[in-house]
Amino acid sequence: MKHILAALAVLMLAAPADAAEMRPFARGSWQTLMQANAGKPTVVHFWGLTCAPCLTELPHWARLAQERADMRLVMIAADPTPGDIKDLSATLDRAKLNKVESWAFADAFSERLRFEVDPKWRGEMPRTMLIARNGSVTVMTGVADLKAVRAWLDREAK
Amino acid sequence: MRSYPLLMVAMLLSPGPISAQEHQHDAMEPASACKDVKLSCADKATPFFAKDGSLWLAWSANGRIGVEHSTDLGKTFTPAVMANHHAEKLDAGADSRPQIVIDSNGGMVVAYTIAKGTDFAGQVMVTRSADAKTFAMPKPLTDDVISQRFVSFSLDPSGDVFAAWIDKRNLAAAHRAAKPYDGAALAFAWSTGGKDFAITRIAKDNTCECCRIGVAFAGPHKPAVMWRNMYPGSVRDHAIMTFDGDKPGPVNRVAVDDWKIEACPHQGPSLAIDAKGGYHATWFTDGAKRQGLFYARSSDGGKTFSTPMQVGNNERQPSRPFVLAAGNTLWLAWKEFDGDQSTVSIMQSRDAGVTWSKPRVAAATKDASDHPLLIAKGGDTYLSWLTREEGYRLIPLENAP
Repeated sequence: MKHILAALAVLMLAAPADAAEMRPFARGSWQTLMQANAGKPTVVHFWGLTCAPCLTELPHWARLAQERADMRLVMIAADPTPGDIKDLSATLDRAKLNKVESWAFADAFSERLRFEVDPKWRGEMPRTMLIARNGSVTVMTGVADLKAVRAWLDREAK
Repeated sequence: MRSYPLLMVAMLLSPGPISAQEHQHDAMEPASACKDVKLSCADKATPFFAKDGSLWLAWSANGRIGVEHSTDLGKTFTPAVMANHHAEKLDAGADSRPQIVIDSNGGMVVAYTIAKGTDFAGQVMVTRSADAKTFAMPKPLTDDVISQRFVSFSLDPSGDVFAAWIDKRNLAAAHRAAKPYDGAALAFAWSTGGKDFAITRIAKDNTCECCRIGVAFAGPHKPAVMWRNMYPGSVRDHAIMTFDGDKPGPVNRVAVDDWKIEACPHQGPSLAIDAKGGYHATWFTDGAKRQGLFYARSSDGGKTFSTPMQVGNNERQPSRPFVLAAGNTLWLAWKEFDGDQSTVSIMQSRDAGVTWSKPRVAAATKDASDHPLLIAKGGDTYLSWLTREEGYRLIPLENAP
């Protein structure tokens, strides 16, 4: 037990202190996430390593996150074949999004994970969900219009 | 144990965070994750029927490409032979899959795509085997170093092998010249007489970059290719082209779905050509005009298509449509998900796609699954489906009443 704990301690300390931990997004995670953010306006952005427009878009989200400290941003990597965590983390690091709350699909049964998020989602990415204080959801498919996101944030801030 | 009380508290409070550490990667995997290099742990399996009726599979599992065959229609398989020589980082795109073809000389050619770096670029690797016991060291399909993905290998009626893929060489060249370039390009090459693929060419610039390609043959050296094209304004509707050997044909639009999206749909089309030359196309769209899975046919060699017909139940995430022409019958297969299980639905047409039987469920699973594929041998048609729980299945399809 001592050895296991010591090994775990090393692993936990080895993570960069200010980097957000990427969490496994599994069956039930969406509900967990929604409960944790209930009543708080939240921007959920789905991206993936297998999605070219997503990677182009990531730095724009980093800039918006810097500009709008009031934005609750949650990044979810939704590659249908679970992406390699090292690659996902490195990609977020490069885009300067490593401090943002971050999850990654961790189940190859991606239909099920997507269904829990939104039965209408067929896997196209990028995809952004603006979840308002009152729970109403605005879906933006494809590269998000950040002007519209800013306007939404302004409305929600009132 | 007493020396670590704070750590224990930290661990109990933590909902299972994961860092970039290799060791913690395992924590990401679901309980059902399979770590072995074998068919039952594969995420994709592509079938091919040899002339002698044996079924060959090329599959991908944990970075390896395996090849095995069955002489009893998929009930039992020979031990797998590895087509790549070590574990590689394979393209994780949903529509990427290993390719396998046995050419007219009995030579087997296997292709797969490796991911380059952490970027969305890929490299297609090709390996051959004369005896299916050992494979040559895989070689890149092309000397071009930029990116090839979603390669499709098909056996031409002449016995040659036709390859088509999504290529980014012209995108890179445009960027070097500081010029804009939308999407990627459709590329192709031929392998004749068991030789390496000859010169690779671009058939069409500005295609969508993340979807599989549908290939069928209108005759020897007349491959028809269907792909998700990029129309002005990032409208990602489908196009079709029939080649004359090395000569790309005109680009025809299959349907105006008007799907304007700056995104990766991750869902490519499927194409079949029947014995009378009728073209049969199926695809997914979420366009302004129509949403879901669709089927359309062409009786003028792919120039114009019928009004798209909706396929599947739009309330159940219909996806991955596949069309096959076998004898006088057309088959359509696609996947649906009802919130609990994934099913493969099948329907059949005996009048070249004018009317179709009612869809029926041919197979189901409650965990991860590969795309459903259709394959024919003689007069028999099969659903080829790899699922995490049930493993690989070759399911004979019964004629609709």
